[in-house]
Formats: sequence, structure tokens, C-alpha cells
Amino acid sequence: MSEKKTYTYYPGCSSEATGMHLDTSFRAVMPELEREIVDIDDWNCCGASVGLIGGGALPQTVLNGRNLAKAEERGNTDVVTACAACYLNTHGNNEKIKESADLRGKVNEALEAGGLKYSEDLQVHHAMEVLVNDVGMDKIKERATNKLEGLKVAGWVGCQTVRPFAMTDAGGNYDTYEDPEFLDDITEACGAEATDFKPKTNCCGGSVAVMKPEKTLHLMQTILEAAVESGADVVSTPCPLCQTNLEMYQEAINKEFGTNYNIPVVFPTQLMAVAFGLDSKKAAALHQNTIKADKLEKMAK
Amino acid sequence: MTAQIPDQATRKYDLKFARWVRDNVPGGDKMNMCMQCGTCSGSCPNGTEMDVGPRKLFMMVRAGMKEEVLNSSTLWECTSCYRCVARCPRGVPVTYIVQGLASVAAREGYAPKIENANFANSFWWSANAFGKTDERLVTMKYFFSFGLVEGVKKALANLKIALGMVKAGRMHIGMPHKIKDTKGLQAMLKKAAEIEARD
Repeated sequence: MSEKKTYTYYPGCSSEATGMHLDTSFRAVMPELEREIVDIDDWNCCGASVGLIGGGALPQTVLNGRNLAKAEERGNTDVVTACAACYLNTHGNNEKIKESADLRGKVNEALEAGGLKYSEDLQVHHAMEVLVNDVGMDKIKERATNKLEGLKVAGWVGCQTVRPFAMTDAGGNYDTYEDPEFLDDITEACGAEATDFKPKTNCCGGSVAVMKPEKTLHLMQTILEAAVESGADVVSTPCPLCQTNLEMYQEAINKEFGTNYNIPVVFPTQLMAVAFGLDSKKAAALHQNTIKADKLEKMAK
Repeated sequence: MTAQIPDQATRKYDLKFARWVRDNVPGGDKMNMCMQCGTCSGSCPNGTEMDVGPRKLFMMVRAGMKEEVLNSSTLWECTSCYRCVARCPRGVPVTYIVQGLASVAAREGYAPKIENANFANSFWWSANAFGKTDERLVTMKYFFSFGLVEGVKKALANLKIALGMVKAGRMHIGMPHKIKDTKGLQAMLKKAAEIEARD
């Protein structure tokens, strides 16, 4: 069994709005797995996938450099984030800064204008990588005393959680790009049943879905169709944008494709919170899903 | 007698643009590894919505078709899923290059009317002003970047979703979330833009 460890936590912008239920459930389950999390003080936005277009390459890196410099103040080597885009940017830029003295020089020159400096070599992790590599499935299974028996879950990983870093050394080499197993492992560690769901790493459209849903509804339709065909009661996804997109566009998809979807989309951390016997509202935040996961909610203690 | 075959053998690719991309777009130096196999376009989930797939886009860069490349919808329909990056047999960072080209197109005014450029600008506005993304304000600023009438139309079309989010407590009401040190952050971003223009 691994030792108790402290991570510096980067919640990201979605934690204060559309992804609040991810943040709440992540904060609730980590201490149960003997992992402490301490927030980065005064963290800022990572720039997501469009910051580069709006602001330019170096400003985008400096946004992330500021978070890394603020994380360094906490004194832990390991940083964790549960948001796919936050991970992509924070981890990606951190690795670029570690590789290039020239880039680090430029980032620090910019940070100095606000009185900060990034001098350490921190390691940025995705929450799912921490669950796989550090916590381990056995520990989740052991803690899941309120087994989610009979709940059928389609494990939809999405893209940026595993791409392009899950199979790299710096990304923790914790699963594959195309057919990752970790999400189904978490489902089963919670005592639920992982359905045979194929489009595990299909894209929901990301921010293009927010801007121009009409261009990306077909992507989500494929995901919903496969989830329903697999017999799932709920879809589980670790990504806050995937969760919001797949939930809020079901009505538009029904209108466009003549379908009748009404399937809840939850986070694996919400499944864990219920399986750990924690409060359905305060810890699992199930009241914040707009399509209610009734079957899961009834299992809550 | 058949007509003379037009003399096209003398037409040469203009490599100026390809060289510029190689030197100025992040990942552009890897573009010469592209062997035009099409794995990227075949893997692209949103390729059906693009003018041309990434494979053809890269060939157009090589052919010196700067205007066509920077005006292509490809730059704006990429969902950043990184499937092409993961699958490229030659290690070309396709998504990064497409994003870099989009950044160039936005900066040089090629895409002022395109949704994603407006969205990116609205997004950056929030990051710079508050240090955080206020999803509500970014969306409204984006909607109204198309003008008042279109803005009201888009806002109304999304009203039901927005109300659902408010009811679930997932849409923030009131003043935007702000970091404490917005002044420091703005100074850093200003400096970063200066360094980028300098080097």
C-alpha cells in the first residue's frame, strides 16, 4: 500500500460553474483514499483549447507558468487537476518549460513583471492517472463499502484525458489512447457493471460544440446511441466539458435526429462518492446533474 | 491531331509559406515528416465538417497556398481531440500545427467573421480581465460578437439550457469570479506578448 501523499490541486474555471459537481466529488473522495489536496493559491485560467488562438503561444504558456509558480509556493512536487483541458495545458506547458531553458527564461521574464518565478521541476498529474498509478484500484475497491450493485455504466473517457499524454513517460504511462480500461476498472471497483461501450475515446466536439453545436451534434449522437445500445443506466466520464456537452445537448439531439435520449451523465468521482457511502448531495453532488441519475441516487446512503 | 499538352512541368511550388510555417508555427518544423498517408484525415471525428482534411491542408501548405490555408474552415472545425497526433505514424503534431495556423489566421485578420475566432477572442478577454473564464460572460460576449439581433437570437436559443444550469447551481450568478492579483497577471501577459513580438 502506498503512503499518504499530498497533492497541490488546480481546480480550474469549470470547478466554479459547469463542473462544480466534479470538483465537489473529487474533493470528497481523495481524503477517503488517504490523499490530501491543497489548492493552488489564487490560481488562474489555463487558456483551454482556444487561448492560443486568442492570446498567442507565449501568453498561453505564461498563464500556465503563473499557476506553476503559485503551485511551487505550496511546497509539494506533485500537482493534480481533474479537468482535461487544465491538465492538457498545465502538464503540456510544464513539460515544455522543463525541456527548454530558453522557454523557462522567457516565462520567468514575463512572470517577473508580476513578481513571480517558476524555478522547480513540478510534476503535473491528471486525477485519473493518480487514481490508477498512485491510489490503485484495490484501494478504491476496498473503500467502496456501498457497492453499486446492478448499476450499468458506459465508461466514456473522451479525448484530452488520455490524449496526447496517457502513453508518455511524463504522463505516467497509465493507459492507452484508443481503448483505455481505467474507467471501467473504476466502475467495477465501485461494484457497478461496466457495459460493452465501444466509442470510449470519441470526441464530443469540445469547445466547437459550445460555439457551433449544429456542427458537432452528430458526434454526441454516436456516443449516446452506443451508450443506450450497451444497456447503460448512466454514462460516466471524467471530463467536465464532455459531461456538460453530453448532458445539455440531449434535447437538441433528440430534435435533430428524432431520438428519445434522456440518459444521465455522471463523473467517476460521483460514482465513487456514492460507493464510499458518502452524502449524495454534499459529497456526490448528484443534485447538480441536470438529467437526474435516479438509480444511482437511490443507492446513496 | 490532338491538342498540345499544356506545359505544366515547369510550374514550381512556392516554398516560402512552407518555410515560414516551419519556422514560425509551433510544431511546424515537424511538418516535413508528413508522408501524406491520410491517417490524420481518416481519424478526424469532425472531418466531414471541414473544407479539407488535415492531410490535404498540409499539402496545401507545401504548395504555397497561403490564402486558401488561412481561409480554410479546417482551422476552426478542429475539436482538439488529438487523435491524429496519437495515430500519426511519423510523429507529426497535427493538432498543434492546425491550432498554430488558426492562431496565425486570427492574428492576421483572416477569420474575423468566423465563430471560433470570435469565441477565442471572447475567451481570452475573460482570461485577461478576470484571470478566469466566466463561462456565462464569455458565451454572451461571443453571442453578441455577431451583432445585436443575432446575439439576442443565439441567447434565446440557449435560454432553456442556461436556466437548467442555473437551477442545477452550475451557472454562476452575480459578479464574475476574479483572481486576487489581476493586475499582476495582466502585467505578465502584457510582458509575454512583448517578448513574443520581440523574439
